Amino acid sequence: MNVGILGGGQWGQALGRLVKKAGHSPLIAYEGKRPPHVLPSTNKPPEVCEQCDLIFVATSANMTRQAIQKARPGPHNRIVVAGRGIEPATGKWMSNVVQEECDAIRVGALGGPAPVQEILNGGLCAGVVASPFEEVRRLATDALHSTRFRLYESNDLLGVQLTSAFVPVMACLLGLASNLRGAGVGMHAMVLARGMAEGGRLARAFEADEATLWGLAGIGDLISAQAKPTNPYFQAGKALAAGSVIDGPWHMVSAILERASHKEVELPLTLGLQHMSKGADPIDIVQQLMSRSATIEH
Amino acid sequence: MGRAETRLVGLSDHERQQILEETLYEERRRLESKPADSPERIQLEKLSKALVRGIRGDQIQTAVEMVAEWTHEIHGRFSPRVYRMATQVAPKALTSLLTARPRRFRDFNLDIERRLNIHGSIPHVHDLIREGTVVLVPTHVSNLDSPLIGLSLYLSGLPPFVYGAGLNLFSNPILGWWLRRLGAYTVDRRKRAPLYKDALKDYSLQCLTHGYHSLFFPGGTRSRSGEIESHIKKGLLGTTITAWQENLRTQVRPRPIFIVPVTLTFQMVLEAATLIEDHLTEHGKQRYIIDDDEFSQPAQVASFTRRMLELDASITVHFGQPLDCLGFPVSADPAERHQEASRRLRFVCDRNGDVQLDPQRDRVYTDRLAKNIVAEYPKGTTVFSTHLAAWAAWSVLCDQLGYSDPYRVVRTAAGQRAIGRTALTRQIEKGRQVVLAGSAKGSWRHHLPQTSEEILEESLDRFSRYHKTRALNAHNSEIIIEDPRLCLYYRNRLLFLNDEV
Repeated sequence: MNVGILGGGQWGQALGRLVKKAGHSPLIAYEGKRPPHVLPSTNKPPEVCEQCDLIFVATSANMTRQAIQKARPGPHNRIVVAGRGIEPATGKWMSNVVQEECDAIRVGALGGPAPVQEILNGGLCAGVVASPFEEVRRLATDALHSTRFRLYESNDLLGVQLTSAFVPVMACLLGLASNLRGAGVGMHAMVLARGMAEGGRLARAFEADEATLWGLAGIGDLISAQAKPTNPYFQAGKALAAGSVIDGPWHMVSAILERASHKEVELPLTLGLQHMSKGADPIDIVQQLMSRSATIEH
Repeated sequence: MGRAETRLVGLSDHERQQILEETLYEERRRLESKPADSPERIQLEKLSKALVRGIRGDQIQTAVEMVAEWTHEIHGRFSPRVYRMATQVAPKALTSLLTARPRRFRDFNLDIERRLNIHGSIPHVHDLIREGTVVLVPTHVSNLDSPLIGLSLYLSGLPPFVYGAGLNLFSNPILGWWLRRLGAYTVDRRKRAPLYKDALKDYSLQCLTHGYHSLFFPGGTRSRSGEIESHIKKGLLGTTITAWQENLRTQVRPRPIFIVPVTLTFQMVLEAATLIEDHLTEHGKQRYIIDDDEFSQPAQVASFTRRMLELDASITVHFGQPLDCLGFPVSADPAERHQEASRRLRFVCDRNGDVQLDPQRDRVYTDRLAKNIVAEYPKGTTVFSTHLAAWAAWSVLCDQLGYSDPYRVVRTAAGQRAIGRTALTRQIEKGRQVVLAGSAKGSWRHHLPQTSEEILEESLDRFSRYHKTRALNAHNSEIIIEDPRLCLYYRNRLLFLNDEV
């Protein structure tokens, strides 16, 4: 089977390797003049959609729309977005972005930890593919599942998209909690547990399956982000703890808050993170959060 | 029938056993009160024995016999000959139903065109009828819907459509007589057995693949609360994509299938009181079929209908944007439609152009279609004075009471249900502005008098004449919400306004 990959970055190459390992032929669409790797590739994205039924979109979340516009997938294509689930600029679900920009309606999302270097070096990993279409899940599993990479199937497309958009926020919060002056393991545990509770509220509000949050796309992805101190989201949180604002998942934070406001979901930690990203003092925000009235946990 | 057998043969032993056991259970419940020696009970016992013995052939044969019996009942008196004749019979039958003055045909036809307001994509639907098979999916408000759609089709120059009518509708002798002659097939909603549902779907599939234009009420039943359908049933709707794929596989020039959402709006609804009562009672939520409402009394139907038709444009029928089986809009331009057709194939065919059967995929496509049909409905809704006045009165009352739970509001003591006329007209004006703005954008339509005072007067007049109790009644400078249930019913039609105001 020919499997198309939009995006010649490291994640695109890692997916290409996994496709090859599963016994199929990847075709990577890249930008620029030089092919990114020895894997078969082209700088004409429409060719990928013409030759392959199954397409993985391995671009960053803010480039997905552009990648789809360039590749122009058709009705025969099955598109699996392998990036974050919400478009930061508009707050739209990626599956909707794909459907807005092309004729394909059979879409899915790939979630889970993505330790790119490890995968490129032959490390073992697992992921989850979600789609309401059984054929999309089956095709994606055929394309990626091998002795090096396990792919699990789910029909909770919304849940996987929501979770994969929420993980950067959580990683950033944990980066902050681990490095804030005077904070210890208690704070770390509190942020982790209450942050996931926020995720749970979000999932319920959007009628997604809360259990998705506790699977590979949620807790799995989060642990891989936290285990690597070089993770950019974790680093952004760490920088906040030191009082400086660097590049981070701020657009994603705004997009999630915007979406949550329509559903009247309370997200105090995410909101606090937004204030900090706009220059508020982390100590003040922590104090505000700690002085909130007591509530119940369930 | 052949379809039922093929399907049963294709099932695994476990799946077949499960379907038949469920059928046995549902049918036993339905036939509890029937004598043990009735033919249906005897047939059921045959199925029970076949299940106990566990012989595959016996089970299939007994099930097929049951399906054959049901198919006969569903099929009723429909025949292609009747279907063709219906074009001539329909107007006369409708006239007698709607006017109860059969001798005055000539006057009637002139009147009805003014009173029944039909608009929307009619020329477009004419084109589609020539190119393929059309499925109408109207909103369901009243039992008058089917005859009115029949009449609208006739007045718009469209052929009659095959459709399923609930067995309970035949309890009204005039309507029953007319339905049978228009080519309605019978749906017995008391039969909940999976085998029966499959038999119905097979029947619909057969009609669609043979090119009979069909009509389903995808809401399944009349809207109890008065709201526009926000969820629709996908069983029969799903037969559209199956039929299209069957056409692709078997026909040299495969007929496409188009789905046309139709929104019906009534200024007054005959069964409003029963429907909302049913909605509000816990018991009513399980009562899917009503056979003892205002509709079972022919004289009441005839007089209500006659009075309705004395009003100008008090009923609107809007033909919405036609969609294909996947929920994509179908273009009005023939060249574009041609392109759309070849693009549509690629959603179900492989690279060689062969149809790939995948029922799970088709269910997701049908979900998409259902979502897009529901999105079309409000666009064809007409806001009438009765709706707007009820909406405004309800919101003023809720503000005054300090709570908005419908169950609590309807139980409020009569003395507390008086609202100021000025406050009401102010709220009507607020709603009117939103209605006008939405109407200009194409979000919905309206048929309202010029001022909020006139809207109130018109609605008070209508409420005073068409129901046993009045939703609103004027008393000096106050408006009394006499029957809060009716007020809730008419207000619910405009629930979409709450998001805008």
